[in-house]
Amino acid sequence: MDKDIADYTLDYAKGKKVDYAEVRAHTENREELAMKNGVLDAYLSAVDSGFCVRVLVDGGIGFASTNKWTKEEAKAMVDIAYKYAKMAKRKDKIVFAEEKSVKADWKVEEKKRIANVSPETRIQTLMEMDKALTSQGINVPGRMFTFGVNLTEKYFVNTEGSVISSYVPRIGAFMFITVVESGKPEQAYKQFGYAGGWEAIDKWKLNDQMIHEAKVLQRVIKEAKAVKAEKMDLICGPEVTGIATHESCGHPMEADRILGREMSQAGKSFIYKGGPFWLGTRIGSPAVTIVDDPTVKNSFGYYEYDDEGIKAGPRYLYKKGVINEFLHNRETAAKLGVRSNGSSRAINYDREAIVRMANTFVQPGDVNEEEIFEDVKKGVFMKSFTEWNIDDKRFNQRYVGREAYWIENGKLKHPMARPVIETTTQIFWSAVDAVSKNIEYDAGSCGKGDPMQGVPVYTGGPMIRLREVYVK
Amino acid sequence: MSEALAKTEEIMKKSKALGADDVIARTTFGRYRQTRFSNNQIDISVAWNDYVTDVVLSWKKRVVATQIRNFQNVDDSVKGLFQLAKVSKENPQYGGVAKGKFRYQKSKADRTLENLENPAEYVLEAVEAARKEAGPDTNAGGILFTKLEDIYLASSEGPTGEDSRSAIELSIRAFSQSEASGHGVECSSTIKGFDPARAGAKAGGIARLAKNPKAGLEGRFDIIFDPLFAGSLVGMWGYMTSAYYVLVQLSVFVNKLGQKVGSDIVTLRDVPASYSMANRLFDDEGAPTRENVLIDKGVLKTYVHNTSTAKIFKTETTGNAGLVTPTPWSLELDAGNMSRDEMFSEVKRGLYLTNTWYTRFQNYATGDFSTIPRDGIFLIENGEIKQSWKDVRLSDNALKMLGNIKGISKQRQHVHWWGEADPPSLSPYILMKDVQITRPK
Repeated sequence: MDKDIADYTLDYAKGKKVDYAEVRAHTENREELAMKNGVLDAYLSAVDSGFCVRVLVDGGIGFASTNKWTKEEAKAMVDIAYKYAKMAKRKDKIVFAEEKSVKADWKVEEKKRIANVSPETRIQTLMEMDKALTSQGINVPGRMFTFGVNLTEKYFVNTEGSVISSYVPRIGAFMFITVVESGKPEQAYKQFGYAGGWEAIDKWKLNDQMIHEAKVLQRVIKEAKAVKAEKMDLICGPEVTGIATHESCGHPMEADRILGREMSQAGKSFIYKGGPFWLGTRIGSPAVTIVDDPTVKNSFGYYEYDDEGIKAGPRYLYKKGVINEFLHNRETAAKLGVRSNGSSRAINYDREAIVRMANTFVQPGDVNEEEIFEDVKKGVFMKSFTEWNIDDKRFNQRYVGREAYWIENGKLKHPMARPVIETTTQIFWSAVDAVSKNIEYDAGSCGKGDPMQGVPVYTGGPMIRLREVYVK
Repeated sequence: MSEALAKTEEIMKKSKALGADDVIARTTFGRYRQTRFSNNQIDISVAWNDYVTDVVLSWKKRVVATQIRNFQNVDDSVKGLFQLAKVSKENPQYGGVAKGKFRYQKSKADRTLENLENPAEYVLEAVEAARKEAGPDTNAGGILFTKLEDIYLASSEGPTGEDSRSAIELSIRAFSQSEASGHGVECSSTIKGFDPARAGAKAGGIARLAKNPKAGLEGRFDIIFDPLFAGSLVGMWGYMTSAYYVLVQLSVFVNKLGQKVGSDIVTLRDVPASYSMANRLFDDEGAPTRENVLIDKGVLKTYVHNTSTAKIFKTETTGNAGLVTPTPWSLELDAGNMSRDEMFSEVKRGLYLTNTWYTRFQNYATGDFSTIPRDGIFLIENGEIKQSWKDVRLSDNALKMLGNIKGISKQRQHVHWWGEADPPSLSPYILMKDVQITRPK
């Protein structure tokens, strides 16, 4: 990374009499391993390095990026960004919320340095998992594993005097398996992610997790019973709590969505000015407090400053069931008359930073997991999910159980065959009457933006209990 | 030979000289431009330039790849890559890459798409067309995207060539009310005939009809899919023909070659033709792309392959190589014999669905999935649109739906938007019988 070129780019932009300019440079050392059915298909190792410039001129925004580190290219990028900003000719001018300039240098430590782990060890980790999975006497004909490392160095400067350098190593894995029993297939996937070093591998226990998934699928095929559709209690495991939190709380609280900026792609929100829901409106039960916090140590969505140079901290989205705080960048904050809460993220130098979640979870409650089950007369424990989706205003959602069990008088009984909850955000969160003490996180790649930017996040949370919801 | 191709070939030869068995170097000079808009105004315009050489090499069936973006360190990059191959693991299923010298057609790329003089004009034209249809209070957003890529490929196994790939896409979603919207797209490989107003008018027209939606009902319905929704379905079926997805069971087409998988009127092709946003002369191995009939009159004829997957299935590459995953480039569902009006007149009680998103599977092997219709959702009674609906979900099976296609329109549209209607396709209106609709409770 040539920081001098980045600084030169900013200086050149200043000469164009912009209202604001920033330069963001990334260098990413990436490795990806792809394994299919026990065979390593390919090993990719690459360095991607480039920078972007974003300018605000007369209330319009222009952005340009390149991976060519020359002054000539830098000037060309500023020139086109400037031209594009002027082209906007907006009636209501874009302004950015006032923020102090920051000088910072931060990094995530690696307890076991990834660079010290040989390619052979990385490959062996995947091979051993495949071997462990296929030595259980379970027929797993479809096995797709990918493993990735991304060591990201960033450098951010803007016309307000901010200078921020950072380094975040991230490590991730994705597994998709198909178990076939008596000719019937069932499928599962798991994603793992961590900001830090190779110690992630010890924490994840990949072999155990994938063997567990294979055994669950086998048991589902052999023993699972269909649910009789009716209202009943539903206990969601951390994975299901997490996806519901991400989809029906995190996304609708993104201020750019609320203001319509994503209207054509990821959509808008059930929260909008003049509508039935706004800040202060009840959306869930008092048991529900949902937080988005980029500063969870070693989380997949970890950061200390966002991609506009704003200090990160926890955001309380739903507080005791009431809509409390939106996720903001500087543009949306100015539109709604508040300060940015540091939610602006870009996946690489060639992408605009937009409003994103980091790690979104239900704040743990005060109930033991045993207590959650004990007074459920009949219901379903949905520990994990397969299919899920939600409408583009983030209200009509559906989760289908992967590992799920029937509960009778507080005891777990037989597995359930893909039980479904299809309901609204309001019904889901209003039905929660208990939240467990323990919290577990799952890694995910959150999709948004055009072009699509899949940013690393944590979902997850505690177990939650929903009373009298329709399960089919 | 152009200077860029010569440099690409030099990278390939350097890698080969280190002892690699097969090497492919592919250089891309990409110029991508995008204008994003919402609330009838431009939010941001973006230019991104990318200069990259992808190198894939194999040594004793160990397959490794890199991307070179810093051209000062080419020697170090290829040496590092070769060292990685030496410690990597053998891939016994590696079947090599395309061999031979090929004559490619001449690219018909539109070089004006490198930098449109004033992209804002196209955006505002589309917005005005939407407002004209749906009223002055209409709120529209979307993107205008242009692409010009120059590609230079050199393979140690013979293929050497140049391609230029251009595309322009306008995607607009118009809201006539907070819960009433329509979506239109205009997609092409060239600026010639590109009509932003057509997309805007389509979005606005649907948004006007979609006003005052009522909560929809559950049940099984006959459904007319608009070409934009059909593009999502065609993409879903098309991707499942990738031999890689078949091998890992991410497909309903496992063990179904030669079998009936759709109704008799279904013929699905992969055609990376010059009109398409996804036009290309050769694949990532340098094999010439071609038209492939994937499903012929309802019978699954082939998966799409690279050289390695083709060897696993004892066939030849179809010219769809990616490094690991062969993929369809640009799909076409053959036109049928119905007009749009004839299709509507066939429906006594059903739905007209104009768009969808968030398609997710319970099980790719069985095909059980759901997707969420968005924008105009209309109840049809006796061939007429009777009511605008909202808040329903299509929850059915990908294979069963392919078999339930009862009508295909003569009219087709080149569609693509975001990741939802992807890859680009030439999609018609589709009439499908007995589709399950669910709703939240």
